[in-house]
Amino acid sequence: MKINEYLIKAKNGILDESTIKEMLGSFGVKVPKGVLVENYPQKINLKYPLVLKVSDPEVLHKSDVGGVRLGIKNSMELRKEFKAMKNRFPDSKFIIETMEKEGLEIIVGAINDRDFGLAIMLGMGGIYTELYGDVAFRLIPIDGLDAEEMIGSVSINRFVEGFRGIKVNKEKLKNLLLKISEIAYNIGERLNQLDLNPVIATEDDLVVVDAKLSLK
Amino acid sequence: MFETLFKPQSIAVVGASRNPGKIGYTILMNLKMTGFNGKIFPVNRNESEILGLKCYPSLSDIGEKVDIAVLALPVKYIPELVSECKDIGTGYVIIISGGFSETGGAGKEMEEQLARIIYGSGTRIIGPNTVGVYFPYNRVNTALTPPDRVLFPPEGKIAFISQSGALGLLAMDSISEYGVGISAFINLGNMIDLNDLELLDYFGKDEKTGSVVVYIESVSSGKLFFEKIREINRIKPVVVLKSGRTQSSAMAASLHTGAMATNDAILNGALLQAGATRAYDETELLDYGRVLAYSKPLRGKNIAVVTTAGGIGVITSDYISSKHHGIGLSLARLKESTKDAIKKIIVPFGSAENPIDLTADGSTSDYKKILPILLDDPGVDGIIIYALPQTPKMDVSIVDVIQEYANGIKPLVVGVIGSKMGRDIIIELERRKIPAFPSIQRTVKAVKVLYDYGTYMKRRL
Repeated sequence: MKINEYLIKAKNGILDESTIKEMLGSFGVKVPKGVLVENYPQKINLKYPLVLKVSDPEVLHKSDVGGVRLGIKNSMELRKEFKAMKNRFPDSKFIIETMEKEGLEIIVGAINDRDFGLAIMLGMGGIYTELYGDVAFRLIPIDGLDAEEMIGSVSINRFVEGFRGIKVNKEKLKNLLLKISEIAYNIGERLNQLDLNPVIATEDDLVVVDAKLSLK
Repeated sequence: MFETLFKPQSIAVVGASRNPGKIGYTILMNLKMTGFNGKIFPVNRNESEILGLKCYPSLSDIGEKVDIAVLALPVKYIPELVSECKDIGTGYVIIISGGFSETGGAGKEMEEQLARIIYGSGTRIIGPNTVGVYFPYNRVNTALTPPDRVLFPPEGKIAFISQSGALGLLAMDSISEYGVGISAFINLGNMIDLNDLELLDYFGKDEKTGSVVVYIESVSSGKLFFEKIREINRIKPVVVLKSGRTQSSAMAASLHTGAMATNDAILNGALLQAGATRAYDETELLDYGRVLAYSKPLRGKNIAVVTTAGGIGVITSDYISSKHHGIGLSLARLKESTKDAIKKIIVPFGSAENPIDLTADGSTSDYKKILPILLDDPGVDGIIIYALPQTPKMDVSIVDVIQEYANGIKPLVVGVIGSKMGRDIIIELERRKIPAFPSIQRTVKAVKVLYDYGTYMKRRL
């Protein structure tokens, strides 16, 4: 599918998580295996533990309103949680996806700055990004050297060699940055903000666990 | 491009005055004192002669070609004067007057009016709200600072573009202390016409310019600014000082120029991407411009240090190696044969290990023997040389020794401490365009700039 066919699904400039992930997947960005459902599915071909989330462009901050359940261990638990969530969001759709194993949480984003236009951001995830300003920006499009220099300039770089048992795959992180740059470049001036937060980084791979996208 | 601006044959000063308290007097005075050898036309309805120059009642009355017209009259007269400039075919109009967009809506409208007046003509506007230009090579000086208060730098290799007039003039005054020269200074003021991107293009090609330093308060089109800097930085190193990094200082800047500050983190990323050097104050701006204009970039991170004062060598080593309060590069590990050769030159209690300490016994002739040995060591990418005046065997002739090796592929950066002979040494090095700095920290930071620029260029080209 062309990028426009994804973007057309935006409501009030907001794209739902499931569509964003489908779009990311089409560019070769890894997202968790999952399904989008309206009702409790008869059969699920996913490995537990699972995550259940509401997928609705009108619910942007899902976890604040009880729209996310992590670490669902079996079908009994899933059925119970699904029922509860369906009660809370009767008109929404839901994502059921595999829960990623632990790794380093990072943020990759793109914004459309008033002065500089499209820019890509890389930072450490969680509260530390804000606390230490541990982020790097570059203007889009970036090349491989830009991506490497971005990684080199934030503390994620310390995990490239491995630190306290946590390791980040630099090559794959570089590729992810290049792909996000490409996606944002393709969306162009209509892009307002793209947030991949968190992206779970491990020695083997990077998986986008949550994604938000808003258009102008 | 810009030939008549940088090499004018004639300059008119509108609002010229014989009253030393007036800007129109100072500008005329500066033009004369700097030795402009083209024609100077003072324009003032009520005078027939000022400072020995024939005065004209109006621009049109001059009856000759006017390459540059400097307008030093209140804002209400400016539109009519700009029209007149256009009619007589003036190339460049420098509008000194303030009271335009920096004061609000009416001033903004006036700027738009000026832009409409010159639209489609060959006349260009610099400013308004500018202190003007200073071009030492062609003796053009339209600055409004009285010449008894400040110094103007001699001819040199740094092109200086500044959005602020005062910062520009004062920074030029400061560097003049050591005779640091510039190729051109231009204050763009509110930048309604002639802009920084065009000047970057010009200085990129200007043979007299070795580096371009830019002070900006606002970025009008970040993307274009970035693209231009990226393009020019590959030809001539560009150093950028951007004020308004924090929210509160951004507020002050916006009151000052009528422009909103940009997101600093993005600016920083864009500058890194462009390979441009970032400065955080006026000293860094000119220091970095100087070292980049005079030296080849560093090709590696291994620095050798030569000194006649042990303490200074050790502090320098700390600064080189440390990431906090330092530049995070490496002290070069010298080959055994290098150390053996140096041992034969220095006194037994000196140090042939990097930092190389010649002690108080070190002489200029020792430096002459040691420098080629260090430069031959493949483990050395660049050298910090201290030229220190405290011992009898060291004097200004050290400059000749350093010059002999200053133009090789490995950069030499000189540190000098002291205010008497030390100052003389820096001035002499500066005259020969060898980068020298009056403190340990400034010397080491200059080396880092050469390293970053070298790393960028090596990776990209």
